[in-house]
Amino acid sequence: MSPASSYAELPDGADPRFGIEAVWLSLAGHARTYRVLPDGRCDIILRFCASPGPIKNISVVVTGPTTAHYDVPIQPGIGFTGIRLRPGFFQTVLGFKPVALREKTLVDDAAISACPLLATLCIEADRPEALPDRLIDFVRSRIGQDHAPLPGQTRRILSAFHASSGRLPVQDIAQLHGLSARTVQRIVLDATGLPPKSYARILQFHRAMRLLRDHRLRPSEAALEAGYADQAHMTHALRRFGGLSPARLADVTLVTLRE
Amino acid sequence: MTVRFGYTILYVPDVRETVAFYEAAFGMTLRFVHESSLYAELETGAVTLAFAGEEMAEMNGLAIRPQRRGDPAQAVEIALICDDPQSAWERAVAAGALPLSPPQAKPWNQIVGYVRDLNGCLVELCSDMTKPN
Repeated sequence: MSPASSYAELPDGADPRFGIEAVWLSLAGHARTYRVLPDGRCDIILRFCASPGPIKNISVVVTGPTTAHYDVPIQPGIGFTGIRLRPGFFQTVLGFKPVALREKTLVDDAAISACPLLATLCIEADRPEALPDRLIDFVRSRIGQDHAPLPGQTRRILSAFHASSGRLPVQDIAQLHGLSARTVQRIVLDATGLPPKSYARILQFHRAMRLLRDHRLRPSEAALEAGYADQAHMTHALRRFGGLSPARLADVTLVTLRE
Repeated sequence: MTVRFGYTILYVPDVRETVAFYEAAFGMTLRFVHESSLYAELETGAVTLAFAGEEMAEMNGLAIRPQRRGDPAQAVEIALICDDPQSAWERAVAAGALPLSPPQAKPWNQIVGYVRDLNGCLVELCSDMTKPN
């Protein structure tokens, strides 16, 4: 076990057939806070004491869809492993709609009471590395062998939001698919727990972050390409969703996009 | 420094479904499909026609307006040169292409017809202008 802090995603963890976007493991070497950005996704997280020997006292946390950032205090020696569900898979895995968990997090008894099968994730483990596999097995068994692909219409609607990085108005996406805005509202709310407009704003925010931080666009260029009216509009979104400014983009973890 | 035109890549909602359609509608053959089903290339000679899953747009940091059949076609078309545009057009329509405009003789001595593919992308089926009719 490295004493340094680490966050890593398992290279083979993602499995879109089972709605698994990423599986991650984080071990804290020193006390710090970790900023969680709203990303329109939900995670199932196991928190444990990363000491040698069998892992006892495993806590389970389910994070709901959020529209605001928050900071999680991390104590040294505490490990976290999580599985990030792709939008649309929450209800199949957890048995209730993600909207019930909007802006909320369920911890331990509250999580187990909402989804009793989560208790199986908290039994003693031989070593921390076994916990990510435990999460993967849990999600796979909940999805079932049929892979329960999302209904075609839901998949295409969500895909349109993502492909356009939230730049298309909800009305446009409804028209693209020959649906009413109300129907798109219901589909997105059911799948993600967020209204489509909020969902789009979050995707737009994430792309702006990437354009600034990874693609190194100037703020004025990033604002234009991300679909903001102007730079001030983008700055407002960065502050609102991430508590960040374009000049000082904190070392935050963005959702990993790969298959 | 040299630059060469190598690919036209269409972002589509379902790569495998799109490949199956291009095989059935236009008689094209698959050159390569990635195991993720997010990318495929057709056997199209020097310039490759390829399909990428819409997810790839987000992964590549792009934002695109996804093409759907109910939306006006985007300002681009795929032109396929056929030895018999009429038969090609009929086969495409039989395979589910949207019949837009049957092949007609153009003043510049070319036969040109249009369909939209399963995703709504504009496809022109035309005779070969490089060969005398």
